This record gives sequence, structure tokens and C-alpha cells, in this order.
Amino acid sequence: MTLLSDNTALVPRSLQGRARTWRLRRGGLRLRRVAVALILPLALVAAWWLASSQGWLPEQILPSPAYVYATAVEMIASGEILYHTGVSLRRVVIGFLFGAVAGLTLGVAMGLSRRVDDYVRPLFLAFAQIPTLGWIPLLMLIFGIGETLKIIVIAKGALVPMTLNTAAGIRSVPANFVEVGHALRFNRWQTLRLIVLPGAAPSIFTGIRYGLTHSWTALVGVELLASSEGLGYLLVWGRQMFWLDVVIVAMIAIGIVGFLMDKGFDATENRVQRWKQKEES
Amino acid sequence: MTSTAHLKISNVSRQFRVNGGELTALDRVSLDVKAGEFVTIVGASGCGKSTLLRLGAGLDTGHDGLVEHAGKPVTGPSLDRGIVFQEPRLFPWLTVERNVALGLENAAFSKAEKQDLVAKQIALVGLTGFEKAYPHQLSGGMAQRAGIARGLVNRPDVLFLDEPFGALDAITKAHLQGELQDIWAREQITMVLVTHDVDEAVYLGDRVVVMSPRPGRIREIVPVDLPHPRERTSAQLASIRNHVLDILNSTTRNGEPKTIAKQPAQVKRPPIKTTSAARNAPRSQPSGRPILSTTEI
Repeated sequence: MTLLSDNTALVPRSLQGRARTWRLRRGGLRLRRVAVALILPLALVAAWWLASSQGWLPEQILPSPAYVYATAVEMIASGEILYHTGVSLRRVVIGFLFGAVAGLTLGVAMGLSRRVDDYVRPLFLAFAQIPTLGWIPLLMLIFGIGETLKIIVIAKGALVPMTLNTAAGIRSVPANFVEVGHALRFNRWQTLRLIVLPGAAPSIFTGIRYGLTHSWTALVGVELLASSEGLGYLLVWGRQMFWLDVVIVAMIAIGIVGFLMDKGFDATENRVQRWKQKEES
Repeated sequence: MTSTAHLKISNVSRQFRVNGGELTALDRVSLDVKAGEFVTIVGASGCGKSTLLRLGAGLDTGHDGLVEHAGKPVTGPSLDRGIVFQEPRLFPWLTVERNVALGLENAAFSKAEKQDLVAKQIALVGLTGFEKAYPHQLSGGMAQRAGIARGLVNRPDVLFLDEPFGALDAITKAHLQGELQDIWAREQITMVLVTHDVDEAVYLGDRVVVMSPRPGRIREIVPVDLPHPRERTSAQLASIRNHVLDILNSTTRNGEPKTIAKQPAQVKRPPIKTTSAARNAPRSQPSGRPILSTTEI
């Protein structure tokens, strides 16, 4: 059938064997990378330990690592930390989903239609300039200090980067690609599904990433001001009681959750955008 | 199906607004393409050859005059008219297979038929084994094969090719020209190919349309009465090429002082039989190919 008689010789290097040796090499690399990534945190703990053991700061302000560790173990065992993390996580997930879906919709509309963009963008940018926390006083008067307020503030944190990155991503899809769809008689939905959204995906992922970060920031902010549970509340409460060990445990918990979310997100992104992975060289 | 394929372009002009002024890209151009014919269009840049192709394919419809395909005015793109661009325009997020299958997205075939057509088309352009590869894993020549497969997969009446080999190196280019000619002979699809490469135009075309710039007009239509597949080094081909080059040089003289150098034939190919039977019979094993068969990696 083929007009080109012999093309096994044309198989690109990336599709041929060599996978095993490569995996071994990558295993070694990963171990090395983990080791490198741990250097700075360990140095920080060492400095902390040094500072507290030498009494450079009073113990009420900087408790020793061992003491904080004991508190952490106790809070984990009692389920306290898990409970507060769960409450915060739930708020972030719900708020983020609302914000991300709204941002995606708005971003797609702005990216596809010059007119929508002209109408919406100036006001949107002005709103976006006001820090998330700046909205809280006004929103508090309207929605009270219950869950609604928190969800709205978190959603707003996700909305802005989601919208702007989605719109920018759609704008950046080459007109050449859209023309291919035109030549193949794609309707609007096919063009969106098969060309525009996949083409904008890298940018949309950036939006999701920033959106998640902003959601977390907004969460801690809103919990600091108006909450009786959650990691942000733990921070405020710990500070008021002068339990700095609790404050530090809460901070570490926030850091770990954020880190894990980012990693999980990385994995998802790589899975979805498998085509982006370059050949090993 | 091919009996109805007939492209008629009569008295077509196309103007573009550029910086407030009007630019005449095409000025009263007329051209008839017969069913199953291979027409090549050659000319200096700015002669409107790509504009003419886009009008024929229905990608551009802002013209005066008449563009007809199979007796019906062309008012937009159609699945009966395939197109291959200079850049293969493959979607980087799809495999070769799925890129080719996009050509059937709106075709009325069952899923199984579509799969079958895609596999056949990939085999036809010699990409079997690369179905699951992503575009970034392909060389330029292989990517353009995939582009051609996407243009052909719906079995169009006419295939328009806009400088399809313009970005490829000389050896890959010669190789793909040969294969395109084989595909044309086998599939009997009318082809219209735009190029700035005179060798390519003469080697592939039944007729070579020579255009002149500012405003874009057809200067002359040169018939190439040689059977396919052709021998690149034949004396007749060389003399036709020189004739086309002379016309081109005369067209650019009154515009910019620009001459197109006469180039020697790019690649010497071993002689291929030029009997008319070879045109219709499927080619079993292309003899005399191995020299070039592994050049493109």
C-alpha cells in the first residue's frame, strides 16, 4: 500500500527502545533533585534551632523546634489540625470552583468576542486592581460573616487570573489554525472544542495555577478576619493566646497543603498536555 | 466523481485595502481547470498566486467575477475541495492519526469507515508506523506528508496546495514532489499547486500558469505535454523550464529589477519508465527509489 517502501529506518529516536536505561537515569536524577530541594528547608530549621537554643529571641516569640514538633504531634493526634485543614480545604475547593468556572466562561467570552472584551475589560481590570482583602468590609455588610462571604472572597481570588489568562490564551491561538478549521467546515462548537480550547490550554493552566494560589491567599485572609475554624483562624487564635507553637504548626500546614496542591496540579497538567513533553535528548 | 470536477475561474479580480489605499492582487484573471488535471501556478511574490488559490478553495470570497466548481459558484470552503498549506498546520496537541482524522470531522462516514480511511491515507503518504507520533516528533517532510494526508482524507474533487514544499530542503522536496505525482496519478484527483519554484511547477504540472505581479495577472499558460511520471533531467523539461523562466524574467523586469536565476535540476533521479500504463496501474514497488528513500529522517 505504501508508496515509500521502507520506513522503519525513519522511526524517531523517541519512539524506539532505550526507555529502560532512561528510566534508571531519571530515577537517579529525581533522588538528586529531592536532596537539593531539602537543603534550604533543613538549613532554615537549623537556623531556627540555633536561634532558639541560643536564646536570641524570647521563647514566647520563637519556641524551639522540638516544642513545636511536640505540639504538632499532639494536634495531629487529637485530629485538631486535620479538622481545621479540612475546613479550609473545603472552602478553597468550593470557592475556587465557582471562581474558576466563572473565570473560564468570562475569559472564553472575552477571548472570542472583541465586543465583549471592549465592554467588560476596563471595568474588570479596575475591579481586579482592588486587593481581595479590600472587598471584605463591603461584602461583610452585604453577606454577613458566614460561609457565603468566604466563598465569594475566595472565588474572586480565583476569578481574576482565570479570566485574564483564559482570554489571553484564546487570543494567542494562531489564526492559521482557526483557518484550518474553516477549511474543514468546522462549526463554532467544533472550532472551540477542537482548536481554540486545546490551543489555549497552556494559558488556561497558568490561570488555574495562579487562581489556586490566590484562593489560598484569600482564604487565609478571610479566615483571619471572620472565622471560628480553619487554618487562618488557628493562626489568629494562636497569636491571641500567644501560642506561637500553634501559629507555626498552622503555617507549616498551610505550606504543605499548598505545596501538595501545586504538585498534584503539575501531574494533572502533564497528563493533559502530554504532547508538550519534549523528546529526551 | 471526478467527472464533475471542473474548476472555472472567469474574469476574477480581488482588491485589498492596504493603509487606506486599494491594492489589486488579481486583475481580471480567467482559468479553467479540467477534471483530473494537474495545474501549477508560478510567479514572483506579490503576483496574487496564493490569492487565486484561496479564492478557488473558498477560503477567500471577497472577489469580483466568477469562481465555479462543478458548475456551482464557490461561496466558502467545501469538503470537496481539500487544501494543503505551506506550513503543515498540524495541531501540536493531536497525534498524526487524529490530525488526519480532522479532515473527516464533518464527513458523513461511520466511525469504522473513518478509521479505515485515515489508516489508508496515512499509508498512502508513507507515514505508517507514525500514527501515534505527535507533530514535534516529526521532521519537516514528515509533517507535510501528514498535512497532505489531512487534505486528501475526504477524497476531495480538487486539492489545492499552497507552496507545500516551500519550507523543505532540496532533497526532501524532490522526494515529496515525486510522491505527490504518484498520489495524483493513482487517486486521479484534480490538483492546483502554487509555487515559486519553476522546476517544481514544470516537473509536476500538465499546464504551468505563469503570473505577473502588480497587478496580479496571468501572463501565459505553458502546456507541458510530457507523460507522468517525468524524468527531471529530460531535455524537453529543461527547455520548457527555460521558457517559463524567460517569461518570469520578463514579468519582473518592469516591476523591481529582479531576475530569477536559472537553476540546474536539483536532484538527478534514476530514469523511471514513462509509459502511459504506468499512470493508471498502481505502483507496486517503486523501482529506482532507494537512493532517496532514507534521506528524510
